Amino acid sequence: MRFGTVIGRVILSRSVPALEGGRWLIVSPATREGFPSLAVRPPVLGAEPSVVAYDQLGGGVGDVVAIEEGREAAMPFQKPTPIDAINVALVDAIHYSPL
Amino acid sequence: MLLARIEGSLTSTRKHPSYLGWRLLICQPVDGAGVPNGAPRAAIDPCGAALHQTVIVSSDGAAARLAVKDPLSPVRDMIVAIMDETR
Repeated sequence: MRFGTVIGRVILSRSVPALEGGRWLIVSPATREGFPSLAVRPPVLGAEPSVVAYDQLGGGVGDVVAIEEGREAAMPFQKPTPIDAINVALVDAIHYSPL
Repeated sequence: MLLARIEGSLTSTRKHPSYLGWRLLICQPVDGAGVPNGAPRAAIDPCGAALHQTVIVSSDGAAARLAVKDPLSPVRDMIVAIMDETR
């Protein structure tokens, strides 16, 4: 799982039928330098490209989330779904103490 | 598999149900000498790794789904071993 800050939402006007009715978040992945300031407001954009992730948990802008990517992101769906990033956790607290 | 060092933990109440009851640890990918490279990641932990221990993280979803006993779970990263020493 990768950490990220939600910086926006995406509304799809036209999409493949499998993606209709979904809720999509734009997530900016955290980098090692930006990790301690993950929950600071307004969110500091990391250098990595943002990811659009499917969301079922109700993440909003500014939330810190954990994103699962790859084939496993499409596992929770009965029908085959062409997605590769899913929001699996809204992070409440991070206890971070680097060496 | 990924060599990583445990650098913290995270708590989350609103998450996919298959993660309920699992320890979520922050794993910082490191190289053989312990120098961090890349962003910290999270992984479920069946091994009970402690802080600043070096672990091996597997990104094989099939094994992780068997561990959480949910065939439809999006879980992927799992700590599969705690490293003692490298030679």
